[in-house]
Amino acid sequence: MTIISPTMSHPQAENQGSEPAPASPPMRVAIIGAGRGGMALLDVLHQISRIQIVGITDQNSSAPGLTRAQELHVPVYDRVTDLITHQGLNLVIDVTGDPAMESVLREEVPAGADVVNGQTARLLWVLVQHESTLQTELLHAEKLAGIGSFAAGIAHDMNNPLQLILGLAENLTDEPDLEAVHLQAHDIIDAVKRTTAICRDLTSYSRRSSLRQDCLIGVGGKLDEALKIARYAVALQDIEIRKLYQPDVVVKGNPDELLHVFVNLITNAVQAMEHHGTLTLETHAMADATQIRVSDTGSGIAPELLGRIFEPFFTTKPPGKGTGLGLYNIKNVIHHMNGTIGVDSQIGRGSTFTLTFPSESGADERTTSS
Amino acid sequence: MSEFKSGFFVGGESCNGRVLVVDDEPDIRKVVRMTLQKAGYDVLEAENGEKAIETINYGENRLLLDVIICDIRMPKVNGIEAIAYFRQNYTRVPLIVLTGFPDTDMATALLRQGVVDYLVKPVEGEKLKASVARAMEQRELAHL
Ligand SMILES: Nc1ncnc2c1ncn2[C@@H]1O[C@H](COP(=O)(O)OP(=O)(O)OP(=O)(O)O)[C@@H](O)[C@H]1O
Ligand SMILES: [Mg+2]
Repeated sequence: MTIISPTMSHPQAENQGSEPAPASPPMRVAIIGAGRGGMALLDVLHQISRIQIVGITDQNSSAPGLTRAQELHVPVYDRVTDLITHQGLNLVIDVTGDPAMESVLREEVPAGADVVNGQTARLLWVLVQHESTLQTELLHAEKLAGIGSFAAGIAHDMNNPLQLILGLAENLTDEPDLEAVHLQAHDIIDAVKRTTAICRDLTSYSRRSSLRQDCLIGVGGKLDEALKIARYAVALQDIEIRKLYQPDVVVKGNPDELLHVFVNLITNAVQAMEHHGTLTLETHAMADATQIRVSDTGSGIAPELLGRIFEPFFTTKPPGKGTGLGLYNIKNVIHHMNGTIGVDSQIGRGSTFTLTFPSESGADERTTSS
Repeated sequence: MSEFKSGFFVGGESCNGRVLVVDDEPDIRKVVRMTLQKAGYDVLEAENGEKAIETINYGENRLLLDVIICDIRMPKVNGIEAIAYFRQNYTRVPLIVLTGFPDTDMATALLRQGVVDYLVKPVEGEKLKASVARAMEQRELAHL
């Protein structure tokens, strides 16, 4: 069985820009109960590469966790016995709280596997739920923090057309020439349309990505969309933009989250260039992997900092300018998509962030083999 | 109500003064021109700080310029850099900032540097004219 598994190492352990390979075989875990508790566990444990969820089960076939398991390609079992006799199982987490289940497990769980149930399982579930709320909040906080630097760009793009509208309208109040009146009225209409476009661009961006439903995303299109949004955060006027898109490159994931990833990478790149330089966006589909590269000709990152840039709250930007959550969130999203992120950088020359995802055929193989 | 004395300084009798508008948006230059021309000003345009510096150094503009209206967020030489240049080389030409982004810190810093006004778009014609009139007064005082 091949598992394309992202490495989710602790930030401190990362002393390279790209991440080290996982050391030991994953811990195999079964989840009994797919209600809120089971689902919370599934959501968080699924992201950790050192944990492999061998399956989940629930008496209630419409339990929400079962649907989520299908989305995440985690096997769903009808019978508890089939699940807990899974070979090489290390741990059974029982969140049903059902005393009858306790005795079943006591008898049937094979030697060598531990069982967590009762209050311990509940504690685990509460912890995990807490973690997952934090994650969502962090993601949202970062978006809002981003909006902070966005404010200048948005204000610029809203207030310029508004100035035109106001000026023209004032002029219309005593414009005697009918032809000029018509022309100016049209200018006003166009200006209104421009402000509407800004709102349209930004609503999808600031929306909390609620649905975790994954789908195939055209990478080139998403990068273009991200460029449109990034220009609110950073001045792109004097940046040369090179697009090296291979046609029809797709990855699987949540489109809102991927957009967020791209906007942040582009924003970082442009900020590193201090308004002068070249931004290169590349997409590349290979036999077994898909790569996306965002490169800049900016300041570069000192070797001793390379290992720290993915840490939450690590920033070299002045207070109020950067939250230091950009790359941390990016890494989480990428891992969620079974991908990896690496960075190459040279002081004074620039940096390249490379995202690598299993190619779509690779992902199918994984689905069927588990 | 405009309170400027007409034609006190500059060459033309019909001209209340000569204003340079620095903004990367042609639309903004257009409406500012529209508003100020109606009030009897002569309007020059520049699309960024670099062009503004060129314009201001060109021929007789140097002598004939009374007020500069300048945006902040512009490509090439941005507003802050341009304003620093104007302050240094044209100490006597009053400056008005007309920007899309209200930033209190920046406004305070700029006003402290002697900028006459910090206007946030969209600004009404009357307010813009009043501000230019105030700048003209300052200009006149500087010449006394
Ligand atoms: N393209 C880049 N070039 C140079 N340094 C970079 C680049 N991308 C990231 N960094 C460094 O990594 C740090 C962390 O980046 P991250 O995106 O996580 O946070 P931030 O950009 O500082 O804050 P925020 O994303 O909230 O604006 C940055 O402060 C910067 O020092
Ligand atoms: Mg960032």
